[in-house]
Amino acid sequence: MTSRTKLLLLIGSAKLQGSTSESLGGFLRDRLQEQGFEPETLFLHTALKSEEHKARMLRSVRHSELVIMAFPLYVDTLPALLIRAMEDVADCFKGETASQNPRLVCIVNCGFPESKQNDTALAICRQFTLETGFEWAGGLQLGAGEAISGRPLSAVKGLARNVIKSLQLTAEALVAGRPVPQKAKDLMARPLVPKWMYSVFGERRWRQDAKRHGALHHLDDRPYEPE
Amino acid sequence: MKALILNGAKTRDIEVDRFQEVLLEELKGLQWDADAVRLRELTVTHCVGCFECWIKTPGICRFKDAGPWIAQSFIQSDLAVFVTPVTFGGYSSELKKALDRAICLISPHFIKINGEVHHQARYQRYPRLLVFGLREHPCGESDAIFRKLVGRNALNLHAPAHHAALVQSSLDRNGFQQRIQASLNTLEGSP
Repeated sequence: MTSRTKLLLLIGSAKLQGSTSESLGGFLRDRLQEQGFEPETLFLHTALKSEEHKARMLRSVRHSELVIMAFPLYVDTLPALLIRAMEDVADCFKGETASQNPRLVCIVNCGFPESKQNDTALAICRQFTLETGFEWAGGLQLGAGEAISGRPLSAVKGLARNVIKSLQLTAEALVAGRPVPQKAKDLMARPLVPKWMYSVFGERRWRQDAKRHGALHHLDDRPYEPE
Repeated sequence: MKALILNGAKTRDIEVDRFQEVLLEELKGLQWDADAVRLRELTVTHCVGCFECWIKTPGICRFKDAGPWIAQSFIQSDLAVFVTPVTFGGYSSELKKALDRAICLISPHFIKINGEVHHQARYQRYPRLLVFGLREHPCGESDAIFRKLVGRNALNLHAPAHHAALVQSSLDRNGFQQRIQASLNTLEGSP
């Protein structure tokens, strides 16, 4: 590359620290930085907290050639914060020609073992590019994101080997100006753990967390049951 | 029979507000005990993904804004109606903000439905779900995404019946009434 390509990573998780979205997006960002991209990372919970912050985010989007949105699946689609950011970006880019707009890559992870539960969220991201003139560079979807639980992928090791390979292939493609390759999509979509194991360990974790808060025997409470 | 309308319009979405007003009148005319909420007029903090509503105070969100009232009103209704501008094939951020806070209405326990893992119902009964998406013109891809999203929501919110209706925002009052009637009839005929 002759000039440094500006890259913006938008983290759509509302968690203040230790989000799986940050683990995934950060890994891809770092691989691209190694290849000469100039990265900036924004957390949407901060980027939208005031009009001033929002203006800064919009400036960053405008000056980027590649935008990566990494986010968790919330109620079958994107978290409200991310939708709000996309509404603002769409307003900002209204009426502009496509050549001025960046490429968009999305990485979504969900708390269900089946990665295909993210389908609708990625379809919405793609639709966003069609309506705004961004270039759709593709999306990656991961199931059982809780198994990574916000740890750096290097610390997850064997469990994340397909995820790591997927992001490496994605980085190579993006550097070459290509969209996310199918092989990378397939690797990311592979189950991190068997479905039965995820359910068993997930259930155990909810119970342990509830016990820690003294709420184990209230897990099934119905506080809004009509009288 | 109680109906709750959640209106996800932003201030500029005048046609969505106009549709919601016609919808409220129609439901009242059909003897529903109906309420409509313009979500932009309430303070609803975005969900922070802490899961305290599952593991610390099961069924209740930690934020004491309008979120808990919306969740309570939703679960105590017989019919929940979402009204939203179609936004990239999905819901507006205003509607989604309220919906994200509704996970307190389901349980952390897992259950398999049609071979997929989902969360179990917390309550014994859930409202039927009717969702109106307003947009200027029909758009095949966007409309298909919207319908699929409503179907997924119905599954995860354990709605006993659901219907997604896409409405052209430029229709007049009579046009809105016809779309509302047709949608209510379709929902009525659902299993």
